Amino acid sequence: MLSRTALLSVQRPLGVLAMRSASAAGSGDQVARRERPEHPGKVRLGFIPEEWFQFFYNKTGVTGPYTFGVGLLTYLCSKEIYVMEHEYYSGLSLAIMAIVAVKKLGPTIAAWTDKEIDKIENEWKSGREEELQNLSDAIEAEKKEQWRAEGALLLMDAKKENIALQLEAAFRERAMNVYTEVKRRLDYQVECRHIERRINQKHMVNWIVNNVLGSITPQQEKETLDKCIADLSALALRTK
Amino acid sequence: MAFGDYPAEYNPKVHGPYDPARYYGKADVPLGQVKVGEIGAWLSRRNKSPQAIAGAFSRAWWRWQHKYVQPKRSGVAPFFQVTVAAMTFFYAINYGKMRHHRNYKYH
Repeated sequence: MLSRTALLSVQRPLGVLAMRSASAAGSGDQVARRERPEHPGKVRLGFIPEEWFQFFYNKTGVTGPYTFGVGLLTYLCSKEIYVMEHEYYSGLSLAIMAIVAVKKLGPTIAAWTDKEIDKIENEWKSGREEELQNLSDAIEAEKKEQWRAEGALLLMDAKKENIALQLEAAFRERAMNVYTEVKRRLDYQVECRHIERRINQKHMVNWIVNNVLGSITPQQEKETLDKCIADLSALALRTK
Repeated sequence: MAFGDYPAEYNPKVHGPYDPARYYGKADVPLGQVKVGEIGAWLSRRNKSPQAIAGAFSRAWWRWQHKYVQPKRSGVAPFFQVTVAAMTFFYAINYGKMRHHRNYKYH
């Protein structure tokens, strides 16, 4: 039994909420909420509404309502519909004191109460304004954080570029290494060929010369020497 | 319709928030624009039940409140207005007694 009442009490507020939200959604069209005016309606002589004076203005001009009032009062007093008995005089003195009090203290009290009203209004407003300010600051901070996150993406790209450059540098260094090593080996081979050719050449020359020298017999040597002497003497005879 | 209910013609979806100074019934010619010959017809159209008369007083009270008491910086006018209204009302209901306090016999 208690659980059923609990269920019913839970259901009814939801229904009320739904109706209220529906009515709030639909009611904005016709008439807006009445606004609280800043100043009251204008009055003359402290309490007579200005509209009564405007009502007379078209027909009787500016002095119309005052004449009407004076005439009415005169009629009431002279016919003694308004009897000036002893209560009247006490009322009259009270009225004079009230008017003097209002004229003297009115402006100061009005200024003080205006300040109080402004204080209360500012209290209410400042709470709301502060909340709005906090929320907009939070929005700004959030936007900044989003911008920072984008910056992190840029950082990733920069790091990738950096690594790519490093890889490129390492690749070039190794290519250079490969080139120098290959050149070294090729130079070595070239040197080997040079040396081989030189040694071959020298050996061949030495061998040829030695063989030739060895093949010169003493007989040939004597003959060659005689011939050379004969040539020389012939030359000497010619030039003499 | 019991005490404290909204008027029967008030519909929150159409009229918005309730304004106690506003008449929610069928719109009629305002009293200031009724021609003198049509006053009888106008009066016959009015709703003269006790609830309607109470409603009229209530709306008049709230119109006065909205104009002179509820604004943010209202002055001393409503106090004087209440004083003068009370003075005239009580003088009127005590007039029978006041008549006998006249100072002169012949006017």
